[in-house]
Amino acid sequence: MPDALPQGRAPRHAADPIAMEVFANRLLAITEEMGNVLVRASFSTNIKERKDCSVGMFDARGRCLAQAAHMPMHLGSLMGSVVTLLERYRLDQMRPGDAFVCNDVFLARGTHQPDINILTPVFVDGRVAFFAVNTGHHSDVGGPNPGSMSQSARTIFEEGLRIPIMRIVRGGELDLDLLEMIAHNSREPAERMLDLRAQVAVNERGAELMQRLVATDGIAAVEGAIEALLAYTQRRLRARIAALPDGEYSGERWMDGDGLPGGEPIVLRAKVVVRGDDLLLDFTGSAAQARGALNIATNALEATCYYAVKALLDPELPANSGLFEAVRIHAPEGTIVNPRFPAATAARAISANRLSGAIFDAFDKVLPANKRMAQSHDSVPALLVSGQRRSGTYVYLETIGGGAGARQGADGAEAVQMHVTNSSNLPAEALEIEYPLLVDEYALVPDSGGAGQWRGGLGIARQISSRVDGSLLTARGEGHVMVAPGLDGGLPGGRALLLIEPGTPNERLLPTATTALPMTSGVGVRMETPGGGGFGDPALRDLQALAADILDGKVSRAAAERDYGAARVAQALAEWRDPT
Amino acid sequence: MPDGQARGAKRLRIGVDVGGTFTDLAMMDEATGRIAFHKVPSTPADPSLAIETGVREILARNDGAAGQVAFVGHGTTVATNMVIERRGARTAMLTTRGFRDVIEIARQTRPHLYDYDVQRPAPLVPRRRRNEIGERIAAEGTVLRPLDEAEVARAAEAMRADDVTSVAVCFLHAWRDPAHERAAKAVLRRLLPDAYLSVSSEVLPEFREFDRFSTTVLNAFVGPRMATYLDRLLARVRGTGIAAEPYTVHSNGGLMSVATAALAPVRTCLSGPAAGVIGAAVVAAQAGFPDVVTFDAGGTSTDVSVVAGGQATSSSSRDVAGYPVKVPSIGIDVIGAGGGSIAFIDAGGALKVGPRSAGADPGPAAYGRGGMEPTLTDANIVLGRLDQAALLRGAMPVDAEAARRAVRTRIAEPLGLTLEQAALGIIRIAVANMGRAIRGVTTERGYAPERFALFAFGGAGPLHATEVASECAIPVVIIPREPGTMCARGILLADIALDFVRSEIAPLDATTWSRAAALFDGMAAEADAWLAGEGVPADRRATLRAVELRYEGQNFEVRVPLGNALPPLAEVLDAFAAEHARTNGYAIPGREVELVNCRLTAIGKVPRGAPEPPPEGGSVEAARIGARRTFFDRRSGWCDTPVYARERLPVGGRVTGPAIIEEMSSTSLVFPGQWATLDAEGNLIIRHESAAAPRAATREHADA
Repeated sequence: MPDALPQGRAPRHAADPIAMEVFANRLLAITEEMGNVLVRASFSTNIKERKDCSVGMFDARGRCLAQAAHMPMHLGSLMGSVVTLLERYRLDQMRPGDAFVCNDVFLARGTHQPDINILTPVFVDGRVAFFAVNTGHHSDVGGPNPGSMSQSARTIFEEGLRIPIMRIVRGGELDLDLLEMIAHNSREPAERMLDLRAQVAVNERGAELMQRLVATDGIAAVEGAIEALLAYTQRRLRARIAALPDGEYSGERWMDGDGLPGGEPIVLRAKVVVRGDDLLLDFTGSAAQARGALNIATNALEATCYYAVKALLDPELPANSGLFEAVRIHAPEGTIVNPRFPAATAARAISANRLSGAIFDAFDKVLPANKRMAQSHDSVPALLVSGQRRSGTYVYLETIGGGAGARQGADGAEAVQMHVTNSSNLPAEALEIEYPLLVDEYALVPDSGGAGQWRGGLGIARQISSRVDGSLLTARGEGHVMVAPGLDGGLPGGRALLLIEPGTPNERLLPTATTALPMTSGVGVRMETPGGGGFGDPALRDLQALAADILDGKVSRAAAERDYGAARVAQALAEWRDPT
Repeated sequence: MPDGQARGAKRLRIGVDVGGTFTDLAMMDEATGRIAFHKVPSTPADPSLAIETGVREILARNDGAAGQVAFVGHGTTVATNMVIERRGARTAMLTTRGFRDVIEIARQTRPHLYDYDVQRPAPLVPRRRRNEIGERIAAEGTVLRPLDEAEVARAAEAMRADDVTSVAVCFLHAWRDPAHERAAKAVLRRLLPDAYLSVSSEVLPEFREFDRFSTTVLNAFVGPRMATYLDRLLARVRGTGIAAEPYTVHSNGGLMSVATAALAPVRTCLSGPAAGVIGAAVVAAQAGFPDVVTFDAGGTSTDVSVVAGGQATSSSSRDVAGYPVKVPSIGIDVIGAGGGSIAFIDAGGALKVGPRSAGADPGPAAYGRGGMEPTLTDANIVLGRLDQAALLRGAMPVDAEAARRAVRTRIAEPLGLTLEQAALGIIRIAVANMGRAIRGVTTERGYAPERFALFAFGGAGPLHATEVASECAIPVVIIPREPGTMCARGILLADIALDFVRSEIAPLDATTWSRAAALFDGMAAEADAWLAGEGVPADRRATLRAVELRYEGQNFEVRVPLGNALPPLAEVLDAFAAEHARTNGYAIPGREVELVNCRLTAIGKVPRGAPEPPPEGGSVEAARIGARRTFFDRRSGWCDTPVYARERLPVGGRVTGPAIIEEMSSTSLVFPGQWATLDAEGNLIIRHESAAAPRAATREHADA
């Protein structure tokens, strides 16, 4: 929550702070309503249930005024499409009732191909005054593999349909030819058509609400409030930056590889440069462009930076161009954080999560103690099982959380999504009703949290077996090699693990990325996700907390004696009093 | 009717809403329709004490006798507070092997996208008391592994040694086949005869294990102490000489007996605000407004919900202190904006109001209890919108100078504004916040707020109602009598009701529909037995049916109400397409439809008595009790504003703004350019001067 104005400092505020705050609320009400309508009107589970979609309102100069981002990865990622539209068309070439579509990473500054954007110019007094924009993650846009997100794709041409910025609605007339063309490049054309129609309708609603707001307040008042709001947001963030000591602070986070088999671990480096109220994030020194699909294109990089800055400096800061303008970013071309055409980018969420870890690591040197946090699992582990059932083919896909890093004063959260993603799990009962699969275990992974004065969060074990022959397993993960480091003497979190036929004589370890491995009836797969790093010297851990961990089976007695010392473990158990 | 006979008849009905600060009461005389209101301080250590005091006082003040009381109903936050304060029973859990962490992993999401200070609450049952048992039932009902009863017995012995007093039994797919849960319950009952047992297939027989387990665990956690509270309540009510059994409102706005509440206390978690919405739905519909947004603004928060076609809208996913509770509930959105919301200037120089609240202690600066920060209430006092001498009819003195000082030094001077501009700014920002919540709650459910009236209550609702309505382009405001006690009055308007559910997930064809019919018959029999147990005579019993359906490939359901009997399948499919189109904007002709849940609500109609006859005579002029200088907006500046006593206003009388209308529990504002009138039921209706005459507008609405 924003705190009060620092004492003794000359107050700096907008000319009319009240009009600005009222306007900001009305603008948010509009983007929230657009978000509600998009979630209601879309069909696919990914957009509707997992809310993998975002909406925004921009001005005619392409500045973001407000955004409702359900996934932090989308923060700022709508920007790229608006900039591209303004480069491609002049405002006087747009007509009321037009709407545009795009998805491409290189042609339209996207972050990966499945995110399809719709942009609609909003007319006031006969001229374009705003753009209503939204994006949705479409669960398939073609390419060789279902889901269009293979980690081992080598170029963007293996990642599905490429849509440059183009009109999809002309003067109120939806271009059905184009709609069908897009839809039939997907494995689920009916879903694509329903979702895209919803995306078009959402912008129309947003345009109507924006026009109503202008009709009530007058365009001059609205434009004044916009300038005030953007200036305020930038001023507020700069006040946070100015409160940090000047200097250069470096951080890093390692990845298991660059997406293709046989690679060595690679590094992501972040340097935070603070000079007065100026902030630069410099990623020089990060690994070369990935051979696989782990590349972070420019707009994905920006979204990751905005997410990290907001999370670390001001979680309630409005998401608009005021925030974006206060953060400068540098990434050398030809690296994983600024890839050259035709790099593959579909699995950028994994590397963006590791990159967030690098940024958090850099900021750790400059943040107040209560904001410091050991590294988290920083991965997006995914399980995909496909095959045949009575009514045709099925595809089960899920991403799984892991352990969060411990913080000064608090153990890390167990079993949670981190950084740029926050999607929920699928209930085991829903999964078993829908697919010929059985969930054998869904549990925390004991001993996966790094030991420390505050313990790292535990990862998740998900064990699933097939009830039919002919199922195919595809899995990907991160942290099989490079774990989450601890902080201030805290120990690292546990590794990720992928096992086939677990608990049987045939049990064996699978590589990080496994594609289309056959499973017969009764064969199981077990994924264990990484834990979070510990914070502080384990010798300082509260004895009651240590005893509770052992009695709860979150830490085994053997691991506790190894990390905390046998004498302290014995003392903790002897002095234990159950508080609940 | 001879006087003595009338005094002896059971004709008084009392509703009690237990809040954190006050316990509100409403009492209706069925014979005359007259309603009386009363407020006593709450007694958090034993909430039933304030109930007893309040009941005795409201009877005494209105010349009533305990023997005349036919009904007592109450809304309580006892269970909710137990969860918030984590003061429930020492609870253990039995669950399927491999699944003891379901309640800890939750949805694997973090509660705030950016703020890592916000964390999921720790499970109510620690991992060491979550016992895994060998057993497994598959989704289609096949027993993959029989229940290991010996293992249940061993777990029970361990629980006894561990002083466990309550147990949640949560097995996978128990919604499909409860046999293993029943067998485990029998073992527990035998070995732990005094423990409270909460079984998932009884509490919530629906699929999706995390929601079911969470609800069942919460039920176990609050069960034993809730039973103690209900026993004490029963004794206190009996102690007053009232023979009627007290009822409790549950989250869906229905009433249930003490016995039912003790079995399923989790259903009472959201009871107070639900009663307010039920009452609002009834009162607004009587006034000719079937479609309203309810706006219940109190000291620290504001509750908003949607009533469409005279029915409160329900929500399937609510949470209590961060724990999902999936019992049928009225859909209420809560925002952190109320009279106590604190105004401050943030690091970027913006003026913000809330969500931090001064609460009841220290409260607003004007309360003189040490509050130094300006609140929304202080802004209203500065502008003369609230009385600058005292509130609650003189019961609470006000330090207006303290309010002015707080607004001036903390807001006006730092921002270079006049005192009035600063106070007005605080109100405008709070109004924009509240307006945003109303837009959210309506558009989320597929409604446009412009088509609704605003039904304002709570202590601070009527004060801001007209501005909030303008913010949302809502044309009409309705303010019921004594808006500060609307939740207590709502209890008098609720019916006895309980919800039943069965999950049945299959393509909706003729075979499935006949299976559904059998499930509905089973639930109807249970419902009838329950209503009989609640003492509802047969001619007052009713049932309502609904199904939840989805298109093949969807992962969410749309509820289709079916009325009191099952229509033919074709009609159900048509109704689903229409409802899907209304809520989602489209239907998909030809796509396969799946049945997911069958729901049945048992209703015991409660007599509501005759409406109160309108007061006779009087005039607007005679209702005027004074005047004060009040600041409405920059255009009109300070106005000499007449103040009216609400209870003296005549039915149909027209009050032209600017005007202030006061009553015991609240203050209503009529702005310049608006006018207010009192309808036959005593509701205040406020509109813009330019709006159509009230009669015509009411007709328009009824036709819509």
